Amino acid sequence: MNGAVEGIRLRGLHKRYGATVALAGVDLDIRPGEVLGIAGPNGAGKSTLVRIIAGEERADAGELLFNGRPWTPADDWRAVAVVHQEPQLFPNLSVAENVLVGREGTRAGRPRLGPADAKVMKAFGIDRFANAPLAACTLATQQRAEIARAVARDAQVFLFDEPNSALTDEESNELFREIHKLAAGGRIVLLVTHRLGDLNEHAGRVAVIRDGRVRAILEGDALTEDGIAEQLVVGRGAETGAKSGAAIDRGRSALVAIDDWSHGTAFRHVSLSARPGEIIALVGVEGSGARELLRSFAGLESCSGTIAIAGEKGDAAQRLSAYVPATRTLSLYSNFSVGENLLVRLGKPEIAGLGLALKKKRMRQLANEAIRRFSIRAHAVSQGVRSLSGGNQQKVAIAQALNCAPRLLLLEEPTRGVDIHSKREIYRLLRDYVRAGNTAIMFCTEVLEVYEAVDRAHVVVDGRLSRPIVVSDYAHIEALATDIARMQRHRGDDGVGASARSSRSQ
Amino acid sequence: MISADSREPVPTEAARSSLSSTGQATFDLALRMGGLFLAIVLVALLMFVLKPNSFNVDVGISVLRAMSSVAIMSLGLTLVIVVGEIDLSFGAMYGLGANSLAVMWILLGIPIYAALPLAIGVGAIVGLFNGALVTWLSIPSFIVTLGSYNLLYGVSLWITKTSTFNPIYPPPGSELPPAELDFFTGLTASFGSHPISLEVVWMLGLALVVGFLLHRTLFGFRLMAIGGNPVAAQLARLPVTRYKILAFVICGMLAATAGILDFSFIQTTQPNIGLSYTFPVFAAVIIGGASLSGGKGTVIGAMSGALLLAELQQGLALLSPGPHVQQLFLGFVTIGAVALDLALTNIRKRRAA
Repeated sequence: MNGAVEGIRLRGLHKRYGATVALAGVDLDIRPGEVLGIAGPNGAGKSTLVRIIAGEERADAGELLFNGRPWTPADDWRAVAVVHQEPQLFPNLSVAENVLVGREGTRAGRPRLGPADAKVMKAFGIDRFANAPLAACTLATQQRAEIARAVARDAQVFLFDEPNSALTDEESNELFREIHKLAAGGRIVLLVTHRLGDLNEHAGRVAVIRDGRVRAILEGDALTEDGIAEQLVVGRGAETGAKSGAAIDRGRSALVAIDDWSHGTAFRHVSLSARPGEIIALVGVEGSGARELLRSFAGLESCSGTIAIAGEKGDAAQRLSAYVPATRTLSLYSNFSVGENLLVRLGKPEIAGLGLALKKKRMRQLANEAIRRFSIRAHAVSQGVRSLSGGNQQKVAIAQALNCAPRLLLLEEPTRGVDIHSKREIYRLLRDYVRAGNTAIMFCTEVLEVYEAVDRAHVVVDGRLSRPIVVSDYAHIEALATDIARMQRHRGDDGVGASARSSRSQ
Repeated sequence: MISADSREPVPTEAARSSLSSTGQATFDLALRMGGLFLAIVLVALLMFVLKPNSFNVDVGISVLRAMSSVAIMSLGLTLVIVVGEIDLSFGAMYGLGANSLAVMWILLGIPIYAALPLAIGVGAIVGLFNGALVTWLSIPSFIVTLGSYNLLYGVSLWITKTSTFNPIYPPPGSELPPAELDFFTGLTASFGSHPISLEVVWMLGLALVVGFLLHRTLFGFRLMAIGGNPVAAQLARLPVTRYKILAFVICGMLAATAGILDFSFIQTTQPNIGLSYTFPVFAAVIIGGASLSGGKGTVIGAMSGALLLAELQQGLALLSPGPHVQQLFLGFVTIGAVALDLALTNIRKRRAA
């Protein structure tokens, strides 16, 4: 790659947040005219890399070259455009005004659309929405406006971060047509997504990032969905969690029974049952309905059908479940101490007595017990919860839900953004919890999580549940990754089992 | 169940320390309260130096009397602010509390013993109205209570027919039984060798009750939680709606109580009384360390804020440097207290990072 002066060249990028190393020396060449795919498990450093290229963060060490010259994206922000799942625009302005914002010039009058801008808007097919308020447009149109805005200011680098997770198939095809047009026009295009099919179909090369480094670049024949799926998990899962199918009480009847569970848009006719001692994963990309399905079990989506927990239905069933949201900002109270956060879901009679008076002594005692039981590393129960590490904050969030003694625990991506050590402790904590005769259902996007923490997984595609995947059937994570990737591709059951059989025969 | 007592381990350092106040936050609170205390003492000293003649116990007592209605309203506002909402209507509620009592008692002849709880009940109904609109219809509390501020003032004008009431000189045709009059003026009667009004006792009693409610009960614990992270509280199935409504109801009742007590002490009421209290009460709560973003606030802070304001007000009235100075001080102290708070928070964050 000696002559490669064109494009972006990254050498030895390092970035750390406190004690956490996000990037540990990233080397990557991004050439104009191609679509470069970026894949990696959560927490691998993918989003940090995107933020550095987008100029939202600075690397601690390392080199960024653009067309051979040192480059600081933060100063050259006009050159870079980031297109997220949610457009970062001004919903109160019209589409045309959105395209203009940031380049209004210094004339005293109200800025107007120049002929060049009008041409760009026509090229992206949004000229007919020019005067419509952005908030009234579909998500697809908003994304187009965002791309048009960047093209109009002559941006050279386009970062697409999970751009099509909320789009319909048709809209998403159109988006990819635009993406290819951008690349064909000699621009630098990066595509970050969990959808392996899109990477395979639309990226010329795919860089796989694990543990803060580029571990593999797949292109040509090596670039297949299975290939990416295996690269994402390779070398992982050496130590499986404290898993044992034996803990599942197969003789006992189901603890949780969900029947004909349907939602307006996200999923239909889902049936699922779970025995005590089981950890179940709902695996699916954004937009597959898996997340909505999990949230619906917690009573957060309006659904038809029945859900029974330990024989109870309706509100009584609701009280037997507890939900841990995807991000800690939705479960932790920053104005509270660790101890208060642990106890906040409790009420009378656990922490309050006569006249709702708090039992302060009992609270201290309970909080200290919880800190020990859930191995939360804090100096004191009175420590502010924000001063804990991310992993320990996540433990507090889960412990907070477990403290109200639910029979069914519902978790969304329970170890997202959590370091490896805390991750293992969280899995152990969940295992201890289900061993006591309870059930946990979690929404996962990562095969590794399924492999390490889960007994049984269902892939969700287009709001439908796949046949169960029994994780203990797999001796190797690569085989599990391949099967899950296939089921996500085929929206059906074909393909499952093939790798499981081969992996067992090895 | 395991019996926790028998298994209780040797208390560690962590076990002995308080649960509710984070170590650093306690430090901040101490600084905040220390700062307030210092300001209160400094203002008193300044008064002593500038006007040694008028520095005596009676002036001190008059400061306490002057702060009491602001303090009582600031207790209610603290609850609403802690739960993450705003109430702009309590000043008008203060007026409606006094005026509805005057109308029921003096004009309609309802015995004071019934009219008094009814007037406080009006405060509860107004709080219910505010809280219901905020929670059930999801209208921002700023807008709801801005509206009800005007509504309440309108109702005060309407029911009093814009007239002034004084129970000692009732309008012709209505007569008040002397026992009832004695009872009413007795609510805030003065006692002791240095006469001190009972209103001060009411204020302290209410502060104790609200302080217990906010800092020592499940109700207060959950108010703090809801104000700190309303979405999380909703997801955790805490009774967010009920508690928000309750905060507004208590705020309304306390405002009505403050209006009635002042009416008893001053013995006249006008349709527009209380309106000018809106900003001093906010200032007291904010100087006391409550955060407008919710989840933070103390009763002792609000009380100290009210005390500092009353002290400044009385002091400046004695020095009489002109009416503008008092307004300037109110502005400076409010902004200064919050600026100090933010500076302290930033320093703490930087040290933690």
